[in-house]
Amino acid sequence: MEILSVKNLSFTYPECTERALNNINLTVKEGEFVVLCGASGSGKTTLLRMFKKELVPHGDRSGEVLFKNTEVTEISDRQSAEKIGFVFQKPDQQIVTDKVWHELAFGLESLGYGSDYIRLRVGEMASYFGITSIFRNKTSQLSGGQKQLLNLASVMAMSPDVLILDEPTSQLDPIAAADFIATIKRLNTELGLTVILTEHRLQDVFPIADKVVVIEKGSIIGTGSPGTVCEKLINHKISVGFPSAVRIWQGSQLGGKCPLTVKEGREFINSTFQAKNVEISSTAICTKNAVELKEVFFRYEKTSDDIIKGLSLSVKQGEHFCILGGNGSGKTTTLKVISGILRNHRGKVLINNENVTKKSADKRGTALLPQNPDEIFLNSSVRDDYIQLLAVRGIKGTTAEQKIDEIIESLDIAHLMEKHPYDLSGGELQKTAMGKILLNEPKILLLDEPTKGLDAYAKQSLKDIIKQLKSTGVTIITVTHDVEFAAETADRCGLFFDGEVLSVSVPQKFFSMNNFYTTSASRIARERFKNAVTVEQVLNAMGVKNER
Amino acid sequence: MNNNSAFAAIHPMVLLLYFIGEIVITMFSSDPVVLLCSFVGSVLLFAMLSSLKQFLSDLAFYLPMLVLIAVINPLFSHNGVTPLFFMNGNAVTLEAILYGFDISLMLISVVYWCKCFSIVMTTDKFLYLFGRAVPKLSLVLSMALRFIPLFRRKLKEFRAVQGAVGLYSQKGFVNKIASELKVFSALIGWALENSADTANSMKARGYGLKGRTHFSLFKFRVGDIIFLIFSAVFFVVTTAGIAVGLTDFYFYPRVAKLCFDSLKTAVYSAFFVLSVMPFVVQLREVVVWKYSVSKI
Repeated sequence: MEILSVKNLSFTYPECTERALNNINLTVKEGEFVVLCGASGSGKTTLLRMFKKELVPHGDRSGEVLFKNTEVTEISDRQSAEKIGFVFQKPDQQIVTDKVWHELAFGLESLGYGSDYIRLRVGEMASYFGITSIFRNKTSQLSGGQKQLLNLASVMAMSPDVLILDEPTSQLDPIAAADFIATIKRLNTELGLTVILTEHRLQDVFPIADKVVVIEKGSIIGTGSPGTVCEKLINHKISVGFPSAVRIWQGSQLGGKCPLTVKEGREFINSTFQAKNVEISSTAICTKNAVELKEVFFRYEKTSDDIIKGLSLSVKQGEHFCILGGNGSGKTTTLKVISGILRNHRGKVLINNENVTKKSADKRGTALLPQNPDEIFLNSSVRDDYIQLLAVRGIKGTTAEQKIDEIIESLDIAHLMEKHPYDLSGGELQKTAMGKILLNEPKILLLDEPTKGLDAYAKQSLKDIIKQLKSTGVTIITVTHDVEFAAETADRCGLFFDGEVLSVSVPQKFFSMNNFYTTSASRIARERFKNAVTVEQVLNAMGVKNER
Repeated sequence: MNNNSAFAAIHPMVLLLYFIGEIVITMFSSDPVVLLCSFVGSVLLFAMLSSLKQFLSDLAFYLPMLVLIAVINPLFSHNGVTPLFFMNGNAVTLEAILYGFDISLMLISVVYWCKCFSIVMTTDKFLYLFGRAVPKLSLVLSMALRFIPLFRRKLKEFRAVQGAVGLYSQKGFVNKIASELKVFSALIGWALENSADTANSMKARGYGLKGRTHFSLFKFRVGDIIFLIFSAVFFVVTTAGIAVGLTDFYFYPRVAKLCFDSLKTAVYSAFFVLSVMPFVVQLREVVVWKYSVSKI
């Protein structure tokens, strides 16, 4: 039975000429798992909001959106709150109250249930989602993954018929994200819950989706089972965000059934190709040290444990060094110690062979791009912020303008300069933030989780920027969870574990050595092409010329 | 740390009533026996609720305080008929010293009760009590308590990042203040921006529908009712005794005699029991625990 249906829906935001949604037709059956994908700004979020009466944006709308054959805007407030659950992107901002149990009860309180009923439901939710151990905790003490799970549980407490999720895992690390997706799948299979989800990270959701809907510029360009969509959109530019197995299959142009998972991808390669030796290509690296850490120790408080324990590391000039590792292992702390935001209590930090251990953060010649780039901005437009930063350093007038123009040109951000930083998308915000820190002309750039919340296009443009910066001699140190990103862009990788960086080597070696902590492409192809760790390398090994 | 103790587990409403009764009686009594009961009860309870180290260091502070307040009184009050010695031509009387002791006993008992109160009454209990009277206010408080740590963390992040970018590199007091203001105003902007998301999340979960209820984890148990009945009985007996003047006590001009006739003894013992009830509840748990553990 159809639970949601959209007929000829078009929508235009006020003061916009272009349609945000253009003649959308879509039906969602009861119990279906639907994944919406598309670039940022393609209209995914706008479409999701059409399903939830309370969130329908203002603007010019035509066509119908029906929930169980009733127009969404005409169902009662109570029914909409209870039957259509909505989980948002940011884990922090959708939590309302200070205690976990209170958050779980919030929706039920709104619906006016009695204490005994709420107690039962809250207890049930806590047990089902495995959050009994944090039941009485403060919400501010939870990790990002726990927060998002709490948000899901507090929506599920109202027992909705449809669950809508707007990029729920974009702010989570890969392990928490995979857990979250698995929980949603469990809700879908065990309870028959209808799920509509938007995602950038399609690797985890493609194999479990019943239906994939691809949106581009407000129109649906492909819909159907994941396999058929992948077969239909071969070499469409949206496919850069598809799972590695799909991209390898598409790139091979061999036809047949499209593999979705690592397992299927491996079968596909093993059945078609013979083993082949892939050379490890290594680029010549400068021998001069740009950043050197010597036996560095760091802890937050006098009595707490060391987060960094005797870390020694040298990063060469002009290279891109990626530090990978689990959550809370101390990767970000390391970056802050290098930048001078935090001071190590033992050991030395050398930058260009000069001991900077005692220098403050703004005098080290490093620039840090924080995990949340919004912290870079203080003013109401990007340009004002740039001007202010230069003014602090005593650069004004035409010299300042000239400098800003250079940055605008190299990052291609002219159209973003007059906007308010909060009006930018994740990728745009990051680009402009990068522009601001580049005004300081750093020789060393430190990136903290730069791919968090970015779609495939924004990631691509980040890769281009990194390449460009490297060519001007800038040294880049990145900490990231994103193994694919590291494999494609790094010159060398290291694994951060137990306060130290281990097994530093070139990405091909690093990832082909690891069995678990490695890219999907490497897992798919390792039996045939041992040292191929990116999709591109796998395709090269197959002998396919890849024109990207 | 002691939020799981037997006394703290009693229903917040009962706790609130208990503390109000106990403190009011203490504050309006001058009878040394009544005050001594209250002092003993409060100190014993505090000993149970705090760590030994905390308890001893507090005692080392409050006992000298008790003596200090007692000796200050005769410097200002020269009433009484038993002069002990003369200081600057003024009599220091026995009555004034004893009255000083009496007053300081009262003050320090109240301080100890308040210390116990603040240990036992955590914010969520407070919110719950408020919430019954003004549900909106309690939600606002709960949201504020959620927001403050978030705001603090973001402020720290903002300052670190801006420091690294070079915002604070200009010298001079005025520049420093201007930079701080800039960061703070950006933070306010961030808070407003994000409150829109919170508002959406509230709306999406039906906030604003008619007939919102107020849920809490607290439950009225049999133990709470027993505690309430016992404390009500002893409270009524004590206040009745106070009301008919059984505990009237005078220090001036001559200290009244303490006497323990049957009626007075009944009032005293009722108040003594009332004062040590929390301690007994705590002690019982400790004993039971020890006993059951030793059996395992």
